[in-house]
Amino acid sequence: MISTRYMHAACALALATAATISGARAQEPVTLEYWVYSDFAQGEALKLQQAFIEEFRKTHPNVTINISGKGDDDLTTGQVTGAASGNLPDVFMNGVNVGATLVEAGVLKNIYAEFMAMPKEYRQSFDPALIAMCSPKPETMYCLPYTGYGSFMFRNLTVLKDAGVDAAAPIKDWADWLSQMEKVKASGKYAVPDQTQAWQSIVDTYSGVATPDEWGADFETKKTKVNEAKYAQTLQMFVDMQPYTSGTSRNDQATKDLFISNQLAFHLVGPWVNPTYAEAAKTSGLKYDYVLVPGKAEGDYGGIKGYEFIGVAPNKNAQVAFEFAAYVTAKEQMLRWAKLLSRYNASAAAMADPSVASDPLIAITNKAAANAIDGMPPYFKGAYPNCYRSILTDNAQTVADGGVTPQDGAKELVEELNECLAGG
Amino acid sequence: MFDKKHIPHLLMVFPFLALFAVFFLYPIVSGFVYSFYDWNATTTSRFVGLANYQRIVHSRDFSKAMWNLGSYIIITVPVGIAVAFCLALLVDSFKGFWQNFFRSIFFMPVVLPMFLAATIWRWIYTPNIGLLNTTRGFFGLPSVQFLNDTSTMLYSLIAVDVWVSAGFNMVIILAGMKNIPRQYYEAARLDGASKLQEIFYITIPMLYPVLFFVTTYGVISALQVFDTPWLLTGSSFSQYGGRQNALLFPVMDMMGRGFGELKFGQAAAYGFILTTVIVSVTAVMFALRKKGHQP
Repeated sequence: MISTRYMHAACALALATAATISGARAQEPVTLEYWVYSDFAQGEALKLQQAFIEEFRKTHPNVTINISGKGDDDLTTGQVTGAASGNLPDVFMNGVNVGATLVEAGVLKNIYAEFMAMPKEYRQSFDPALIAMCSPKPETMYCLPYTGYGSFMFRNLTVLKDAGVDAAAPIKDWADWLSQMEKVKASGKYAVPDQTQAWQSIVDTYSGVATPDEWGADFETKKTKVNEAKYAQTLQMFVDMQPYTSGTSRNDQATKDLFISNQLAFHLVGPWVNPTYAEAAKTSGLKYDYVLVPGKAEGDYGGIKGYEFIGVAPNKNAQVAFEFAAYVTAKEQMLRWAKLLSRYNASAAAMADPSVASDPLIAITNKAAANAIDGMPPYFKGAYPNCYRSILTDNAQTVADGGVTPQDGAKELVEELNECLAGG
Repeated sequence: MFDKKHIPHLLMVFPFLALFAVFFLYPIVSGFVYSFYDWNATTTSRFVGLANYQRIVHSRDFSKAMWNLGSYIIITVPVGIAVAFCLALLVDSFKGFWQNFFRSIFFMPVVLPMFLAATIWRWIYTPNIGLLNTTRGFFGLPSVQFLNDTSTMLYSLIAVDVWVSAGFNMVIILAGMKNIPRQYYEAARLDGASKLQEIFYITIPMLYPVLFFVTTYGVISALQVFDTPWLLTGSSFSQYGGRQNALLFPVMDMMGRGFGELKFGQAAAYGFILTTVIVSVTAVMFALRKKGHQP
């Protein structure tokens, strides 16, 4: 196996070669606008990003990089309007769920040639499935996969103990999980957030009964891939869960507040919530752990997975912007990034490193991602209309509220999703 | 015929007209043109005639948004003005320091950033541990899901909206009250009028122009409602409107179509439908007022 040092040297050589090819232009002063998620632009994460920038500038002294933190919506809006006005950031992050929208808007450069020009060690450091995710067709690649997540379930051990639930025994299946929810409710607490409020929560539950090829859309036939029978089982689960929910969404601050104040037993969400709960454990004695999302049958698991990527704008700075993106996504940097945030990322080489593989949060995220279903696949191929997500949540909420039966709800859902995809 | 003596005047208004044309007229005209095109802001636009308008009007989200808007306006405008009027009466009954104190206190929500106000109210509405539900729990009442129960969501929004807007309307109404000649009240008291009679027979009739202004302003603002429901429901461009779209409003739908789906042609058409509604409602209100003033 080639050592990290050799791989690094090869990367540096490739970057240096690319820089030389750029010729005289490489020596001209260049300013790159680098947009990252807002939580990557504060505290320790920002310090590490700035360290990456400084390290990159040692080999590219003519390059200035301005880092800006943006919220999810601001990233997408800024990139789309930037493409329209010719004022795109040079290198930026975003989520794969909006990948197709960004391709449609002309925000993303096809970086296939640049990626293939990189050393094999660099290319092979990524999870191959994620490289495939960024490559919707031959000789086309729109992104470098960056961070990712698989959702799992935080458990409040105090609430479970007070409800008489043995947290040491694993939750076998949905029936077992529901019996725990009933006990929690009987103790005067909430069991779960409302799983019908966010489309991600719906996928979290549906994936406990469905396979990855029973989710998403076929943009050629304009049909949803949802399995009606299995979706009816999911809707039945929402009906059964309804009396035990907190009425807050998985993304609400109120959900975290309920969990921290020992009012909520389970929170199905991604690893980004852990710093909040870890802090509460230190300051207010919160007792919690995390497990995989239970599936309908024993041995099955639910969960949703998603990825963030680094993209390059199709503008005059594209070459140096790609070089910077390649530097940030090289194994060494991905390893440092994973260690700092305890966050799973797209570098298979970094994830295999014993120093991060042993991190419990990364370990559970790895397991969760292996069982989870992708959020809005296929990425970079077709943009989901907004009606797709609103139909999902409206339908689940109508069924959970008793408006229609799960069987009728699943049938209506498939029909409405197909209409939505067809542009109705 | 053009008179040369107007040249200095025209030159003086030119800077305003230039800026007005560039930043107001041009976007309106180009937006109107784009409402007939399928356009995603970056690729070449395609003329689609009235298809954008048809698609919007026939969409289920449009019907839901318009229904929500109608219900919202019917309740929030009269309730908001009634609360503001009562606050103005209350403040007017104080003198000196206390009048200034209460006026400032009631006006405070107006200057609070909407994001902060919504965060406060989301906490107030939180199930179990929020201020309202803790208070209910104290009296043995069950927790209410104010922002997740479709039967309470609209009223929860209206409460926030009234809280935010009452201070502004109160200041306007209070200023109107200060302009009512005091001798009317003195004469009424000499005739034995009660406080309630003073309000109904002097204050309200004398405040008619002010009440018309706050009503018109309230209706126009309500027609454009966006930030409060957006923040209360934790909306994003890909998902907005809250449970079963109970807090979906036209401007939210327009934003979602534009920035969530990159259907800027549809968003432009939506904007023009909404503008037409606002102009029509305002025109009807002014016409009714004019009719009411005719002998």
